[in-house]
Amino acid sequence: MGTTESVLALDPAGSYDLGSSTLQYAMYHQLLTVPPGTTEPEGDAAESCEYTNPSTFQCTLREGLTFSNGNELTSSDVKFSVERNIAIADPDGASGLLASVATVNPDGSLSVDEDAIETPDDQTVIFHLNKPDATFQYVLTHASAGSIVDEDTFPADALLPDEEAVGSGPFVMSDYQKDELATMEANADYQGPRPAQSPRVFVQYYPEASNLKLAIQNQEIDVAWRALSPTDIADLEGDDAVDVFEGEGAEIRYFVWRLQNQTASELAVRQAVSYLIDRQAISERAYSGTVEPLYSIVPPSFPGSTEAFKDVYGDQPDQAAAEQVLNEAGIETPVDLTLGYTPTHYGPNAVDEATELQAQLNDSGLFNVELKSAEWEQYQELYQQGAYDLFQLGWFPDFVDADNYLSPFFVNGGFFANGFTNQQVNDLVAQEQGSTEAATREDAFRQIQQIAAEEVPLIPSWIGPNVAVSGPGMSGVEETLDAAFIFRFWDVTKEG
Amino acid sequence: MAAQSGSLPRYIVQRLLLIIPMVWLLLTLVFLLMRVAPGDPVTASVGGRLPPEAIEARQEALGLNDPLIQQYWDYLSGVLTGDLGKTITDNTPITDIIKENGGATLTLTVAAMLFALVIGLPLGLLAGRYRDTAADGTIRIFGIITYAAPIFFTGILLQLLFLNVFSGWPLLGQSTPITEFTVETRTHILLLDAMLAGNSEAVVDVLKHLMLPAITLGLLICGIFIRLTRVNLLQTLQSDYVEAARARGIPERKVVRSHAFRNALVPVVTIIGLLIALLMSGAVLTEKTFAWPGLGNQLITYIEQRDYAAVQGIVTLFAIVVVVISILIDIVNALIDPRVRY
Repeated sequence: MGTTESVLALDPAGSYDLGSSTLQYAMYHQLLTVPPGTTEPEGDAAESCEYTNPSTFQCTLREGLTFSNGNELTSSDVKFSVERNIAIADPDGASGLLASVATVNPDGSLSVDEDAIETPDDQTVIFHLNKPDATFQYVLTHASAGSIVDEDTFPADALLPDEEAVGSGPFVMSDYQKDELATMEANADYQGPRPAQSPRVFVQYYPEASNLKLAIQNQEIDVAWRALSPTDIADLEGDDAVDVFEGEGAEIRYFVWRLQNQTASELAVRQAVSYLIDRQAISERAYSGTVEPLYSIVPPSFPGSTEAFKDVYGDQPDQAAAEQVLNEAGIETPVDLTLGYTPTHYGPNAVDEATELQAQLNDSGLFNVELKSAEWEQYQELYQQGAYDLFQLGWFPDFVDADNYLSPFFVNGGFFANGFTNQQVNDLVAQEQGSTEAATREDAFRQIQQIAAEEVPLIPSWIGPNVAVSGPGMSGVEETLDAAFIFRFWDVTKEG
Repeated sequence: MAAQSGSLPRYIVQRLLLIIPMVWLLLTLVFLLMRVAPGDPVTASVGGRLPPEAIEARQEALGLNDPLIQQYWDYLSGVLTGDLGKTITDNTPITDIIKENGGATLTLTVAAMLFALVIGLPLGLLAGRYRDTAADGTIRIFGIITYAAPIFFTGILLQLLFLNVFSGWPLLGQSTPITEFTVETRTHILLLDAMLAGNSEAVVDVLKHLMLPAITLGLLICGIFIRLTRVNLLQTLQSDYVEAARARGIPERKVVRSHAFRNALVPVVTIIGLLIALLMSGAVLTEKTFAWPGLGNQLITYIEQRDYAAVQGIVTLFAIVVVVISILIDIVNALIDPRVRY
């Protein structure tokens, strides 16, 4: 398999990026895993898991699990793995996802809660959550938060160097050269629902998408996954020597309003832009039609998703409605608007997308949009400082639950601190997080999306499919392409 | 007095001693250039990802809060003891990066130089020997084009050509993953390791992977060799001793082969020293184009990540290599041409 995703660390506590987690899923057991094509977790290291009440999650481990170094995998390793992740709190790690089993300090940082994880015997783990949290089971499916490491090998308070990392997953890392090549061999001792179907897997890392395209065209690799450019994908679709597979996507782009800015604080302005945005044109002109218009921040494949923005603003630009909403609010046109984007984080087409939106708004005569860009590091500071009224961001899910597209965005200004606060939204989030009833949660999800469409703290733009390009004789590739964005090496095989 | 200043041992000692001020000057330039850049390296590299206290800790660990003169001293003494520091982004010792990736760059540059010599010298001699003929014109145009064409352009053209005409010929990387996996690492030079292991399949695989990058980089140098050799041969053919040889009735073919060719090549040796810098900078672009896992590729990666510590370490190595090889070439030049010593 070839990819352009780089790997930050093989130690789960030291990374929270797609490149690292892709290898970690193969190297480590998680307590739970997400089977292909579903959003419902099933046991991986765990034989079974259940909420005994909304604040208590209990798992029973499979019998006889071992790490590839021969050490036994017990409930004590599970407790150790979670607690060391919280204790290390690596800035590049995902310890923040484990807040439900940690002590949340006044400054927002986490520290280990010794009593939160109980291990009455070697097979049983009981998580005592500090609040009702239906998303915790999904957190445990994520490689960076839920991978189980050997307490006799991994230090409790520091990251383990890549070359020493061992796990108990379907593959064993037999050779690893950072940013060049990872060689994994099937773990004969793996127990669980994901046994490796291939004896050996190579992951080749390329610095450029153009290299990746060339490699799959020339059959130097069997599968190209992450991240070919839209132009490359469109080009490869016409190549008979390879198959382009598209699965359900979960990667989204959206524009955030900074409500502290005068212009963005006007609801009518935000609604007018929602009437004017032409998502189909953005898809076709900026991304060669390789992405789909997105009408809610929650991807359509997630239970509880609803196309709220289409319901409120339609799926075609509506100039008359935009004019009307601005007129009724007494806002003079054209409205000056600053639109921010970064060319160094979301791929080369981010500028095309921003330019297309600028053209759409300016062509309406209702807006005078000024484009501003900055490199990613600077961009993050600038959008928080209010340099842009509207700015582009992207999102990958931490886990396959609609909550992951709602609570990080709409509770108390979201992670981007855009000033949006709505008590009803906060209550609904608490309600869905506190319930394990699917119907209750999905109803809350729909209400939050409806409020978001009416209040417009952000504007969803598009959702990208999970794309892989495969050479001849491969199987299992298409099936792994789903919203979980896990490349399931263990299910992929090659003829001969 | 003249005999003393022209003695070979004395000349060699002088040139070797010259390495010290030259390397010092280069190290100072590298150090100063990295500090001229605005902002501090840690913030530029990981700012926004780490909390302020973590950034402060990394700045402290890297000695960036020390006075400049202290940083300069630490840098120089580090280089002298073989410690080029650690990267900011992944805390890897830079000597490890050089150990892991230096072999690939060495393989590429040596192969490219060999290609340039094997192709460039004969073509230059041919063009000079048959001056103002169609062959001369064709070779000169070839030399200009190969020198003027940007490396990435030549590389991509070759990749597309091989993709469409010789489908299956390796276009990227140093070897197949199987070769990488099966050949035991001993010297960190994959070709050498494959040879030491007696694995002929792996040797062939590495050579096949090496061909396009080496040609791409070699073509750049090749153009220079062609032009230089041609001009030297033309000058040599008009020199007094060649005229004297002709006057003695020696056949033209023997005059050219025995007298002109050899002397025309002497200045080429001189230029090789100067071309090392070009070769190193060309290797960076070639490695990027062919996903070649060498130091150039690492350098670009760290530049993109704004990891100044890594960039400083790798550039320091490049600078030392250029200086040392230039001096060695000077010595070789003095060995084959005694006039150089006077």
